[in-house]
Amino acid sequence: MKNKRAIGKIAVAVIVVILVAAIAAGVYVATRPGPAPSESPSPSASAKPVKNPDTIIEATIGEPETLDPAWAYDTASGEVIFNIYDTLIFFNRVKVDDFIPKIASQVPSVDNGLVKDGGKTIIFPIRQGIKTHSGGTITPEDVEYSFERAMIQDRDGGPVWMIFEPLLGVESLSELGNLTDPTEAAQVGQMIDNAVQVDGNNVVFKLAKPYPLTTFLQIWSQTWASIVDKETAIQKGAWPGNKDNWVQVFEKYHNPQEPELQETDCGSGPFMLQSWEHGKEVSLVRFDDYWAGPAKIKGAVIKMVDEWATRKLMFQQGDADIAYVPRQYASEVEGLEGIRVVKNLPTLQLDNLLFTFSIDSTSEYIGSGKLDGNGVPTDFFADINLRKAFAYAFDWDTYIKDAMLGEAKHIPGPIPEGLPYFNPDQPMYTFNMTLAEEYFKKAMNGTVWETGFTFDVLYNTGNVPRKTAAEIIKANVESLNPKFHINVRAVEWPTYLKALVGSKLPLFIIGWQADFPDPHNFVHPYMHSNGAYASAQGYNNTEVDKLIEEGISETDPAKRQTIYYQLQSIYYEDVPSVVLDQPLARHWERDWVQGWYYNPIYPGIYFYDLSKGY
Amino acid sequence: MDRGLREYLAKRLLLIVPTLIGVTLLVFAVTQLFSPVERAALYIRDPRQIRFVNEIISKYGLDQPFYIQYVSWITQVLQGNLGWSQSIHQPVLETLLSRFPATAELAIFAAPITIFLGIYLGKLSAVKKDTFVDHATRALAVVGWSLPSFWLGIMLLAFFYGGLGMFSPGRLSPWAEVLVRSGSFKVYTGFYTVDAVLNLNGAVLLDALSHLVLPVATLTIINMALIMRVMRSSMLEQLGKTYITAARARGLDEKTVINKHATKNALIPVVTLSGLLTAGMLSGVVITETIFEFKGVGYFAARAATQLDVPAVLGFALLAGIIFVIANLIVDLLYAYIDPRIRLG
Repeated sequence: MKNKRAIGKIAVAVIVVILVAAIAAGVYVATRPGPAPSESPSPSASAKPVKNPDTIIEATIGEPETLDPAWAYDTASGEVIFNIYDTLIFFNRVKVDDFIPKIASQVPSVDNGLVKDGGKTIIFPIRQGIKTHSGGTITPEDVEYSFERAMIQDRDGGPVWMIFEPLLGVESLSELGNLTDPTEAAQVGQMIDNAVQVDGNNVVFKLAKPYPLTTFLQIWSQTWASIVDKETAIQKGAWPGNKDNWVQVFEKYHNPQEPELQETDCGSGPFMLQSWEHGKEVSLVRFDDYWAGPAKIKGAVIKMVDEWATRKLMFQQGDADIAYVPRQYASEVEGLEGIRVVKNLPTLQLDNLLFTFSIDSTSEYIGSGKLDGNGVPTDFFADINLRKAFAYAFDWDTYIKDAMLGEAKHIPGPIPEGLPYFNPDQPMYTFNMTLAEEYFKKAMNGTVWETGFTFDVLYNTGNVPRKTAAEIIKANVESLNPKFHINVRAVEWPTYLKALVGSKLPLFIIGWQADFPDPHNFVHPYMHSNGAYASAQGYNNTEVDKLIEEGISETDPAKRQTIYYQLQSIYYEDVPSVVLDQPLARHWERDWVQGWYYNPIYPGIYFYDLSKGY
Repeated sequence: MDRGLREYLAKRLLLIVPTLIGVTLLVFAVTQLFSPVERAALYIRDPRQIRFVNEIISKYGLDQPFYIQYVSWITQVLQGNLGWSQSIHQPVLETLLSRFPATAELAIFAAPITIFLGIYLGKLSAVKKDTFVDHATRALAVVGWSLPSFWLGIMLLAFFYGGLGMFSPGRLSPWAEVLVRSGSFKVYTGFYTVDAVLNLNGAVLLDALSHLVLPVATLTIINMALIMRVMRSSMLEQLGKTYITAARARGLDEKTVINKHATKNALIPVVTLSGLLTAGMLSGVVITETIFEFKGVGYFAARAATQLDVPAVLGFALLAGIIFVIANLIVDLLYAYIDPRIRLG
């Protein structure tokens, strides 16, 4: 019995000791006079203290999917990859159409003779002596391997279609032939082999057809075109480079279920991967042998902090140098001491209202499925009058003021402002309830106005701007006629996706972010019959398809301008969708962060140029 | 250990197998209520990937019959592979192994404090029934139990971290993380407090402890209330029984009556509750882990569940199943220890 009592007393004593020690630890950590063991004084510490002076800490949301450049198609992955890998060429700081050489020693152009055969041959001389993170050297063979491996991997839903399009004129490997048939597989393998060749110290890309050079260079400047250290990649289980049995190669390395280089650093970029703690942070450390000289900071940490209150406190306390601040919380941190915000940054993304021309008859979002006041027929939005009526019923001023806090642009068509061939004089829809009523009365020979309709508008849960847009549409359309009913419903992404791919949504709100800063990347999803959205909508205009295909094959800028102006005009006439806004972004950082600049196509923060101090 | 007890333990441990099969079958069956396209949403995080939905369904076998998918999963589990988590982007087993120390460290500190304080205050409240102490502890219990953990967590964080600069979120401060990742610090267990002791590094130990204060306080305040209430009512029930009257009649002093006789018997329901509570903490405390950036298995389980990440959810179900079976076993053993009349086996 005495033992039991003693155990109890010991347990209480242990708890008391732990509590006291923990509180004392907190007080000690918070109030200790000097820097923590690994901290070093800031160069300008005498002026103002700088927390963690050698490391940039970014507090954000969203976790990288992978560090495999051939697999990654999300910005969170892209942010890590473009800091640890280099590409042949890269964007010249803020510019999206001007490039600097990196692993290549020159940027190809017609003038320097590196673009030949009417644009069908593009040559990259490789810079000598670039060291890799594993101690090797980048060679032309590494470059060839990187592109060939990417094309072989070509996972479903990945980014490699952008490499296929100029090189082989298709969007995926499987379009080239039957990969399980030895003869066809060998032919496909040969095509890949021929598309990228090593010629001495040069790597030569053979294009399937002429391709706009700037667009090609934009694609080749991004993460999917990262140069991989072949030796390290093979050691980590990636394609070993064999070309003797293509059926086997495709069977093993094409479209795998998991990325080959998931957490592997095969790069030669300015930072090396130190650790990736899933759901928590990615830690990068400076690569001192970087060919262009080491970065100013010793390391960077990208922290995934989902909870806004926590993220805000970290930013406020200086434990985060750069933070993601959702638009609705901007007022909570704007004006706080030590925090700097850069506003009105033009983005390369759009938010749209899209109409489904042929709604699936099993849709649960169209009520009775008939024009009887309790539903809509499946071809409801095939009537252009209805599309125009909805376009005129949208109040952009209210939307941009309420949902985007005034930080967005109302633009006419699917090509964002800032991209080449954006037509500033293109007419556009504006809020006009008189015209909206007029078109509603014309629709389906007047029956819409007489009988009314009911349908659902869905948005994915948590997206405040999309919710606001849906509510504006509902309020304005219902105010025109008491027989018009729109139900706004929030659903989770899986439900939304299921409805979207099944063409079950009569009208839906979604956005698009640029893969590369060229109009083709916007007109295709919104207007081409095979485009990501147009196909789900059932929008099919053969003239549009033809123009889009001509646009990406045309190398003459003047001719491209004509094509894209024409497409913007057709978009206005056909109204397959309506652009709600082109958002303007903000960048938030502590005022001790130096050297940041904005390039709208960057997937995140490029740490190489940053430093800390006053 | 006698033979009966050994057999009892073996039987109970063997029960883990059917329990886990049952749990995973149930979880698997529930996920099948979602269509293949809905489950493919896990792989389509960007509108640019929408057009590949059919290929993705086929690639991951999402349109296969239920039993084929389950058998395929269980076969790979038997080979030691819990599958790949698309929501966490790493093998499920690796996630469980790497994140469990965070959750366990939190539970190891929070559970004993919660249980001991709950028992002590519950007992005090019962002994001092209808006095100021009783009213105060009951009020504390009501307040503690009523507080939403996310609110309490954010308030504690805002006051101590935002206001006083103490107790920052995360498991370690940036400098300590750098140190822990460096070659000079050896990670033995993943429990930073333990590893700091093993490395004889007082600074890291203090830092790790300071990061535990607020999440442990949140868990303690919220969970202690329940134990306190149960202990109080159980204690009152025991104090009203005839054996207590008899003990007092025999002239035993009040301290002995309460501590030796009443408390012991009053502990039985509290032990059950404590076992479940500790098992719950070990299985992850989502909100606390999220608010305090103390990301353990709970945070990842929630993330996997919201994204319909079937392999990850099944992996967490396995872990939770094992924890609960073992916790129940320990509770049963404790019953026998507290009350020798209870015989196992």
